[in-house]
Amino acid sequence: MNLKKQFMDGLLYQNPVLVQVLGMCSTMAITTSFFNGLGMGVAVTVILTLSNVIISAIRKIVPDKIRIAMFIVVIAGFVTMVDLFLQAFVPALAESLGVFIPLIVVNCIILGRAEAFSYKNGVAASFFDGVFQGIGYTLVLLAMCIIRELLGAGTFGGGLLGPVNAAGTHMGIQIIPSQFPAGMLTLPVGGFLVLGCLIAAMQWALSKSKK
Amino acid sequence: MSNEVKTKEKVDMDPKYIIKLTVTLFVTCVIVAGLLGLVNQVTLPNITAANEKKTADAIQKVMPEMEGDPVALELTEAMTAAASGAGATVTEAYESNGAYALKVVASGSQGNIEMMVGVDAEGAVTGVSIVNNSETAGIGSKVMSNENGVLDQFIGKSAADGTLSVGKNVDAISGATVSSRGVTTGVNAALAVAGVMG
Repeated sequence: MNLKKQFMDGLLYQNPVLVQVLGMCSTMAITTSFFNGLGMGVAVTVILTLSNVIISAIRKIVPDKIRIAMFIVVIAGFVTMVDLFLQAFVPALAESLGVFIPLIVVNCIILGRAEAFSYKNGVAASFFDGVFQGIGYTLVLLAMCIIRELLGAGTFGGGLLGPVNAAGTHMGIQIIPSQFPAGMLTLPVGGFLVLGCLIAAMQWALSKSKK
Repeated sequence: MSNEVKTKEKVDMDPKYIIKLTVTLFVTCVIVAGLLGLVNQVTLPNITAANEKKTADAIQKVMPEMEGDPVALELTEAMTAAASGAGATVTEAYESNGAYALKVVASGSQGNIEMMVGVDAEGAVTGVSIVNNSETAGIGSKVMSNENGVLDQFIGKSAADGTLSVGKNVDAISGATVSSRGVTTGVNAALAVAGVMG
């Protein structure tokens, strides 16, 4: 077990979004405000860590041929349980995370890490893999949220900070006057543009650091 | 990499092995399903209570002139037919002081949108409030959270305005046309239901 390597892999060298290019759907869809990114990031980190631990624990009894089917049953069951518990005991959190939780089943980071890491490694290593990969995912989401929100709506911290609108959601702190931002960036096309730029920047930085 | 098409890996046809696979997968599914059932049993009362509270809050929001507790009405065949004619389903109906609150389900972009629509005695919409939805956060959710008053624009509309449709007499939120349409369908259905209720 090599904690430092796992940490650097999760955040940089094997970053789930920018290097492994996993979990694109959620990355594109929800990174329109700061709170969304944080909510999704935390939810994925928690579920990734727990599913990594369970899959690592049962890896010896899972037959090779049907491992993917077993993984997805475990993951889906797990996500549903977390969803039900949130709805029942923390309704306020479930309300704000509601749409993210079901999305996590189909988030290929979880299945990807199950296949690539926790199926081959011990429970403790899988636990830290979940935590670090989750943090790596969350950081990229937050970077995309901040860029898209700032350039697309001119605000910072939407859903968490700033004045409250009629529906009771925070609008974010206005940094760029509202007539200037390019609204396109908050639409799906903006997601592709920002993600493409981020991946390019990441690859450039990685290839530079290798030299 | 060669261009030859690789022959598929031979499946081990040993019956014992196949039975082992089937049994393992089956047992896993049974365990997971059992656990889910257990969790469901623990959480169901709380979830039902939370949903009932959401419904009550939504009724309060869309019926500004409510007096006392609203009376739940039985759904008649004419009401369900009117709703499905408008492309949605009516699931609950409440009455207070001659005004109605109707819970309607219409499809949005990611799933069903469950909304409460208030209609007053004159047949005009008094409010729209979303009870449950699974619209995309940051896009369709803008409609759900009434951004820019997109839900308030329905207030005052009645059957006399004709069928409401996005782009004609309803403004959508850009990027969230499907979600906006879903809500519009729901309001149309509620007006149709209120119409047959008299």
